[in-house]
Amino acid sequence: MLLLAMLSQQSWAAGARGAAKSALAPAEGAMTSLAAQVDRVTSAFGDVASLRAENQQLRAADEQLRRQIVELNAAARENASLRQALDLEKASGHRMVAAQVIGRGPDSFSRTMQIDRGTADGVQPGMVVATGAGLLGRVREAGPHAAIVQTLGDPQSRVNVYLSKSNLQGTVSGGPSSLRLDIQHTLGVTASPGEWALTSGVGGGYPRGLVVGELANVTHRDSSTTDEAQIAWVNDPASTSFVLVITDFLPS
Amino acid sequence: MRRALGAALLAAAALAQVTWAPRFEVGGAFPNLVLLAVVAVTWTLGARSALVWACVGGLLLDLTASGPIGPHALALLPGVYVIGFWIRNLERPHALHVALSAAVTTVFYSTVIVLTDNFLGLPVAPLGVAAQLTLAAAVYNALLMPVAIELVRRMQLMVRTGPQPG
Repeated sequence: MLLLAMLSQQSWAAGARGAAKSALAPAEGAMTSLAAQVDRVTSAFGDVASLRAENQQLRAADEQLRRQIVELNAAARENASLRQALDLEKASGHRMVAAQVIGRGPDSFSRTMQIDRGTADGVQPGMVVATGAGLLGRVREAGPHAAIVQTLGDPQSRVNVYLSKSNLQGTVSGGPSSLRLDIQHTLGVTASPGEWALTSGVGGGYPRGLVVGELANVTHRDSSTTDEAQIAWVNDPASTSFVLVITDFLPS
Repeated sequence: MRRALGAALLAAAALAQVTWAPRFEVGGAFPNLVLLAVVAVTWTLGARSALVWACVGGLLLDLTASGPIGPHALALLPGVYVIGFWIRNLERPHALHVALSAAVTTVFYSTVIVLTDNFLGLPVAPLGVAAQLTLAAAVYNALLMPVAIELVRRMQLMVRTGPQPG
């Protein structure tokens, strides 16, 4: 197995590895849409239970109609997310490919997600992935019809950012429950909660100006060259279903 | 029949692992359904069968994960081997042993994943974070293990009492 891992890691095996991983993508897509259907049905049942407690008259309400309302609400949310994504594409001026999330990483160590677009759609490893709300992560591997995205929540993820008000610079790193920001000290300037963290473009890994999140709290450390802060990420990978891959930017 | 059912169980577990399991995240960890299935097979069919199914299940996980193919399959093997040996020597197994076997396999699995990533030169989670996630996953899997073993036992019973070929 170790030998297989070493061989499949080689660059000449990347095509075969990507193709093998893409083979499971349709099954993952089907399973993900099945999960979404179950969510809708259970949410309809949840509505019924609470309404029964509140008002006996609503018992007689048509079950099919209620389910349709739930489905329409879900479709409206999906439309809003797509509209937001379209706005981002227009505002940023970047070329983007929309993709659906079809799966997530199998273990807690790597916070990744699988999307249904690959090299056949112009997606390449290293490309930046965002949603209408802001930065989500980066494409780590790409097969012909699927790709794996390393999210900012991944413990190995690092993004250089600046703060919207104080203009302080720092580095955001992933973690199991929240994003952590190490802010570089600048004489006479302090960061405060409520500021927005945006990609600084330093290092060439990400384009400048993508929203990462809002500063939730800051811990000042006099004995260190950096302050520590927690970031409320604008994206929740657990509920993200559509993403945008920026296809005209590759890390330098 | 048994092989087909085993393959179907693992394929379903692997697909559910990457689509459903992350929805049940607690403390940064979520259950590992393939690991639970393989540990349940160790209890019901023995370590030899479980090692084969660990390879199959691990490879399925590798196909859904980023990075090279093999680390997840490799990571499942030591835990299954150790608990297989331990289970064989147990005189009166009970629910606590079942839960403990899942926790031990999770610790082996996580350790091997981290060590393999390190060996292959892949980025590795910081030690503190890795330890925290391992502990949370071990507790989670231990709590779910009795349910998993009951499901596999019922499936085994179904295969035994089902129509025989010929």
